[in-house]
Amino acid sequence: MPVFPSVEWFDAVSRSFNSDEANRTAGGGIADAGVGIIFEDQVFLLNFAGYECEKASVIQRSDLENTDFYLEMHPDDWIEMLINIQQNGTADMNYTLNTLDLDSEDGLAKSATDDQYRLDKFFRFNQTIQFFFDASSDVETEFDREITPA
Amino acid sequence: MAESEEKQPTKTTPPPRRRRNLKIDHDVEVPEPGYAWMPRTLEWGVRVKPGAKGMTMQGLNVGIYGEIPDRWDEQTRMPRGAYPMAGIPPIGFALREKREVWADNAADLYEEAIQRRWIPASDIPWNTLEPLPDDVEAAMCQLCTELSQAANVEFETIGYWLQHMSYGYHEVKLFLASNMFDAGRHHEAFRKRALANGGGLGIESKGEINRMILESKGGWSETSLLLHLLRGLFIQTIYRYGERFAHNPAEKVMFARALQDKARHTAYGLQHLRYAVTHKQDKALVFQQLLNIGERVFARELQEPVVLEPLAVIFGGGIEGAKAGMREVHHMMGDFVRSYLASTDWIGVHRGRAFPKGLSRYLEA
Repeated sequence: MPVFPSVEWFDAVSRSFNSDEANRTAGGGIADAGVGIIFEDQVFLLNFAGYECEKASVIQRSDLENTDFYLEMHPDDWIEMLINIQQNGTADMNYTLNTLDLDSEDGLAKSATDDQYRLDKFFRFNQTIQFFFDASSDVETEFDREITPA
Repeated sequence: MAESEEKQPTKTTPPPRRRRNLKIDHDVEVPEPGYAWMPRTLEWGVRVKPGAKGMTMQGLNVGIYGEIPDRWDEQTRMPRGAYPMAGIPPIGFALREKREVWADNAADLYEEAIQRRWIPASDIPWNTLEPLPDDVEAAMCQLCTELSQAANVEFETIGYWLQHMSYGYHEVKLFLASNMFDAGRHHEAFRKRALANGGGLGIESKGEINRMILESKGGWSETSLLLHLLRGLFIQTIYRYGERFAHNPAEKVMFARALQDKARHTAYGLQHLRYAVTHKQDKALVFQQLLNIGERVFARELQEPVVLEPLAVIFGGGIEGAKAGMREVHHMMGDFVRSYLASTDWIGVHRGRAFPKGLSRYLEA
């Protein structure tokens, strides 16, 4: 069972996301974006190209400059979001990425280079990134800690 | 009816199988073909292959078909790369300079718009709408009336300008056609929401900004500055908060999908406006002057209660919570102003001290 977060886990989610053609309709579709993921001191890069998440990899924090934007939350908030997705099949009304972005003190989506144009890809491809994390409901996931819901 | 009188199925003979023989149709007199059109091409033998995203418009920009001139002097509808014909009466395009319309991302954004399209009639789960308290429903209907009308202004404005853009820059025309269609979809979606849950349409604001955008005739770049940047980013911010404070999955999906479209329009606006600023010396100054006026008109219009008050009621969960909701409105406006100023910086127009107090006050939120 893959542990969140890990390349193995992102690869498993990518397989589910890439194979579901429903993710290409109703507001989904092609998306070109390099998305950074920060979970404590672990940093990952998700490469979205065309209809798919092509690759997940571990990167250094300094590499975030090469991403279009990155997503950063408190580890408990990441886990809470993923548990919500597993319970509902998709994020419910309180756990969508846009909602978490607005509810977070510092925001969820950030630019390492203060580049507004690249940061706006979070909104342009919002449903694709949402569909990606929603696809994690198909992946049996192990977390490295237990959390107390906020 | 007696059994004997019952209608019996009649046997019909099928018509004979026949195909017209094109080669022996001697009765028709036709002129001898000249095929003069056939060799008239500037580049032949082009074989564009589909890539990972299929056969894209950007992919077609090969050879002479990918040469995008800084000025397009052809005054007819001749497509870029086609064989020019003499004697075609001019159409009189006003926008013939690349810098007046161009954005490097236009072709890709067009593909994005086509591939990421959605259908309000069936993609929004309308059956999840449930009755809301009267004050909240009234606020949502008022907001939707404004958003629907803003979208209406958007497609009418672009429709005016499209006919003035020359054919040398078809990528831009295609993208803006999709922008119009998106705006039509937003007009549709918000009107449907207003009329789907026991409420009805509210009132449209006096519309000073609407008129500014509709009557902006100085140039497409100037119009895009008001449409995509100033008002567009405001609407985009409302969509974000609309998604956050949705009462049901129908509203959630409606705002989330509309948000993506709006961000795409912003992406064109940003790229085009930066291109315009970097390719014409005094453009940044022109934009500064225009924003000096536009931002003040915009700030004044915000005093009208038809947008921010309904948002306060929605955010606060009703009239009773509207005061707390207004604090959230200030927070929303702070988000808008920050993204707006980051965007003006991105295009090379630094607002600095010229930025009006009526908007900068939200930075404290």
